[in-house]
Amino acid sequence: MEDKIRHVICPYCGCLCDDILIEMTGGEISGVENACTLGARKFLDDAGNRLKGPIMRKGDEWVDISYEEAIDYAVKVLSEADRPLLYGWSGCMTETQAIGAHLAELIGGIVDSTTSVCHGPSILAIQEVGHPGCTLGQVKNRADTIIYWGSNTIEAHPRHLSRYTNYADAYFFHNAFRERKVIVVDVRKTVTAEIATEFVQIDQGGDYHVLSALRAIIRERGGVIPDMVAGVPKAQLIRVAEICRQAKFGALFFGVGITMTGGKYKNIRNAIEFISELNRYTKWTISPMRGHSNVYGSNEVFTWISGYPFAVDYSRGIAFYNPGETTAVDILARKEADAALIMSSDPGAHFPRVCSEHLARIPTILFDPYPSATTHLCTLQIPTAVNGIDAAGTAYRMDGIPIMTRRFMETVYPTDTKLMQEIYDRIRKVKEDA
Amino acid sequence: MMQVTLTMKPRAKPFLPIEAEMIVPMNFIGSRELFVWEGNKKRRLEDVFTVRKEGNVNSPENIVVILRGDTGRVKRVGEYMSSGIITIEGDIGMHCGNFMRGGNIVIHGNADGWLGREMRAGSILCHGNAGDYCGSGYRGEKRGMRGGKIEIMGDAGDYLGEYLTGGEIHVHGNAGMFAGAEMRGGTLKIDGDVRIPAANMSKGTCIIGGVAHEMLPTFEKTGEKNGMVVFHGDVANKGKGELMIRQVQENSALQ
Repeated sequence: MEDKIRHVICPYCGCLCDDILIEMTGGEISGVENACTLGARKFLDDAGNRLKGPIMRKGDEWVDISYEEAIDYAVKVLSEADRPLLYGWSGCMTETQAIGAHLAELIGGIVDSTTSVCHGPSILAIQEVGHPGCTLGQVKNRADTIIYWGSNTIEAHPRHLSRYTNYADAYFFHNAFRERKVIVVDVRKTVTAEIATEFVQIDQGGDYHVLSALRAIIRERGGVIPDMVAGVPKAQLIRVAEICRQAKFGALFFGVGITMTGGKYKNIRNAIEFISELNRYTKWTISPMRGHSNVYGSNEVFTWISGYPFAVDYSRGIAFYNPGETTAVDILARKEADAALIMSSDPGAHFPRVCSEHLARIPTILFDPYPSATTHLCTLQIPTAVNGIDAAGTAYRMDGIPIMTRRFMETVYPTDTKLMQEIYDRIRKVKEDA
Repeated sequence: MMQVTLTMKPRAKPFLPIEAEMIVPMNFIGSRELFVWEGNKKRRLEDVFTVRKEGNVNSPENIVVILRGDTGRVKRVGEYMSSGIITIEGDIGMHCGNFMRGGNIVIHGNADGWLGREMRAGSILCHGNAGDYCGSGYRGEKRGMRGGKIEIMGDAGDYLGEYLTGGEIHVHGNAGMFAGAEMRGGTLKIDGDVRIPAANMSKGTCIIGGVAHEMLPTFEKTGEKNGMVVFHGDVANKGKGELMIRQVQENSALQ
């Protein structure tokens, strides 16, 4: 029997596309329409790839255990730890993230999301100089100049251009595609660079220099700028500054190409100050291209619970935040953590080797429906229902809009929200009894 | 004169950080019970250190606190201290001398990040290297170190003296990237090399005795003084800071 389900939310990236059409055959996903390749694979690769139940490492072997045994183990490890790290959170829903933050407070742990290895620097910059941002709907309908800086959007967020920028219809334009200008800034000529009106190729590590030069030009101090800045001719910088100044509504989107190069948050701060400078002449906004489906949600949730967006250390009972000191990579690299809970994330694939080594050394509990690189490091893996497929919840789009994801499939798996709530309740009881 | 010697005891989990902001000279007057945090556990000072007190005084100026043993993970030593002396024989953890208002700290080993963060007065001498954010401010803070002196005999890490607002930092070795970023006062002196110095500075003086790599394009050359090139900037923000450099690296990749 074939069944079509409309308006499904794609739980892959921060775009959270809400127009996906899923075809179901015999209870399994057989077709996906409207999604990009990345999103389609998220749905199509689901069948047959999930773990059947929790697995526990015993010596050199994996042993199947029940969900009850898995929870018993998690409760014991987390309640006894001196510096537990609760990391991940960007692939799960805000409901689970909220329990995670409360759990960190209960056990005196550190709760950090994948933000610390993607757009954490953007948040540090925002804390220094603010955020002139807007929702993607404003960009879609009003923006006539778009900058993608350090972001290969066509390959990383394939539908961003068609839904919100270059190829999207706009309320205030007759022919949006012809009237919009796209500037791409990157260290190499990416696929996105090929559709650009103006492509600025900068030398690696030169983002800060180029942004400083652009700010000086906008401030009428271009005379100081040398003929070449980080591989970019001065004439091109003057041309780009002029395009930006002539825009009626501009939007700058930046990716990890600029947040994760040397200087990190200083680059973003400079970009925000460049945008503030442009706002003396016309309207400009700046937004990060968030990666995981609900990484923005983790920042929202942790902020409303603890006051800080990521890397919150509850070890003294109060929230303390200091990226570089309380971020997951630093905690693991310094071998501080003595237990870890990884929620719907894959640090084994992304963290420096020294961090993976430490994760393999300590009791590590992984919540993930599928085997991943972190499976090889963890002590216990607990599969859960997949958010956006057989579990529902709230996720935040990259511009901070909360969207309710849909559950369109029956499941035998418990949701991560249910499991986390059970762990929280059990640990709370242990603490109260003590 | 009173001397307090704190010797670190061996620990079951030696990598756990210890938060010990109560290690300031003033707290050793009398026999108040002191606590530190090891991870998420509150411990008595005597459980973590062997404490030996010699002499008895009534005012903190005459107290010398000596830290001995593996103190590289002990954080916040000397936070808010106003007088007296702290001598650290080995390495020290993060945030040593936070918000310091007076007195002296001498570190014979290396210091971790945020040494002398937002200090107001007093002096810190580090014989080894300092980590990142030496003499800077907290995240999002608009002012870093406001007074006093930090002297580093070795190298300093990245973001040295970020938001420096007053006082003096002198590094005898090299510094990492973005030394003196957002400087708005005070004096930053680096005898060695540095990358991207004085980014977005608005006031203050930054003197680089070695080579400045990847120099920003937004500094205006105004002349020469004592064999150094003098720049003014950062013009990206109409800054009036002074940047003096012995030698600017002509980096083909960036200039």
